Amino acid sequence: MHQVEMMVNGQVRRAEVPAETTLLSVLRETWGLTGSKLGCDVGDCGACTVLVDGLSVNACLLLAVQVDGQEVLTIEGMGGFDYLHPIQAAFERLSSIQCGFCAPGIVISAKALIDKNPHPTEQEIREALAGNLCRCTGYTKIIEGIAEACRAPAITDGISVTESGHV
Amino acid sequence: MRSFEYLAPSSLNELLEVMGDRAPNFKLLAGGTDLLVDLKHGPSGPKLVMDLGAVPELKGIEETPLGLRIGAMVTHSQIQQSALIAEHAPAMMAAAATIGAVQTRNMGTIGGNLVTCVPSLDSGPVLVALDAQVTVAGVHGRRVLAITEFFVGPRQTALAPDELLVDILIPTAMLGRATAFRKFGLRKGQALALVNAAASIAVDNDRIVEARIALGAVAPTVIRATDGERVITGRSTDDVGALREAAAVAVTETRPIDDFRASAAYRRELVAVGTYRVLEEALALATRS
Repeated sequence: MHQVEMMVNGQVRRAEVPAETTLLSVLRETWGLTGSKLGCDVGDCGACTVLVDGLSVNACLLLAVQVDGQEVLTIEGMGGFDYLHPIQAAFERLSSIQCGFCAPGIVISAKALIDKNPHPTEQEIREALAGNLCRCTGYTKIIEGIAEACRAPAITDGISVTESGHV
Repeated sequence: MRSFEYLAPSSLNELLEVMGDRAPNFKLLAGGTDLLVDLKHGPSGPKLVMDLGAVPELKGIEETPLGLRIGAMVTHSQIQQSALIAEHAPAMMAAAATIGAVQTRNMGTIGGNLVTCVPSLDSGPVLVALDAQVTVAGVHGRRVLAITEFFVGPRQTALAPDELLVDILIPTAMLGRATAFRKFGLRKGQALALVNAAASIAVDNDRIVEARIALGAVAPTVIRATDGERVITGRSTDDVGALREAAAVAVTETRPIDDFRASAAYRRELVAVGTYRVLEEALALATRS
């Protein structure tokens, strides 16, 4: 068994896990953070996308022990009913989501993009989402939603969004 | 996933010692984008997984007296963002950009990509076109190999069971060499190459004095099309027909297969088109500078 400790959504989390435990599994099953989804389990679909030290990764392809001592952001750290991140707010306004299974990963991938590039072109948005599969929407409203989120004051002014403790 | 023992050595010496003791009953974990899939779904599991993430000797991109050194654990994203790569070997950035998706490029490493040694590996052709060398290390010492010697067959490298890939070197003479890369897949993102191609060209007094053509996914390993290279070596930089001739000859050096992604005939057509385009682009870069 291995002790792991990481900062998840701004909160220190600890667990004792066998080496073969994935980051996704410890997030979902040990800590109850079930927003990140188990889709393909081989790194193709992106439903498990989280940020580790600010980089988007597939949580299904990382061992929890590899992430020991690092910072993780999941969809639970992005917003909630009381406050939506501008990406989530834009998705809601435009009805960008249908079944919603891919949405947590897509919101995280979009955040990773906007953090580096607050004013992406449509092509850059498409490239940023190449690792996130959506089988419902055809992506049109998702791409429009991300473009709209980039016009939100919190993003255009370069202010990192921190209300209610959210990223 | 089946259970395994996990170690994360903090130095190359410590790693090599364990490798010497435990070979071949371990797997090395680099970016994990292939290994984790194997650990979950592969036919048999290793007893020991050794994480290379804490080994400093495998990291970093730096200029050395011999050339540009790229640590095996450098990720594809790091290659895309490296000022040194942009200055000395920008075609590596073009190749890295075609690998997987953002998440896989943030995790996957150039060393891991080379060690998989699949015929379609996207890091391979540019490194062959740039005459790269690789350093491999084992408990008994180090060896330096040409990248073309490192690729032995499909999923088979020149590594002994107790050896690992430490770094890749682009020799000084090849830094800044005009180089181009193209990949043809069934779609733009997350696609395996049907064909990938790279070429490098050096020009002197309006003549092509050195050319290297590298092709992937059309033979058991990434190959050099040396007959095609000979066709253009010595030819005038204005001789556009020479590039077409070289591309046609390069096709004869490939052995593509028929599979569900594409027919061998279609792959040969892509080799002709791809080789011509990378030569044209490399020549344009060479004559501009």
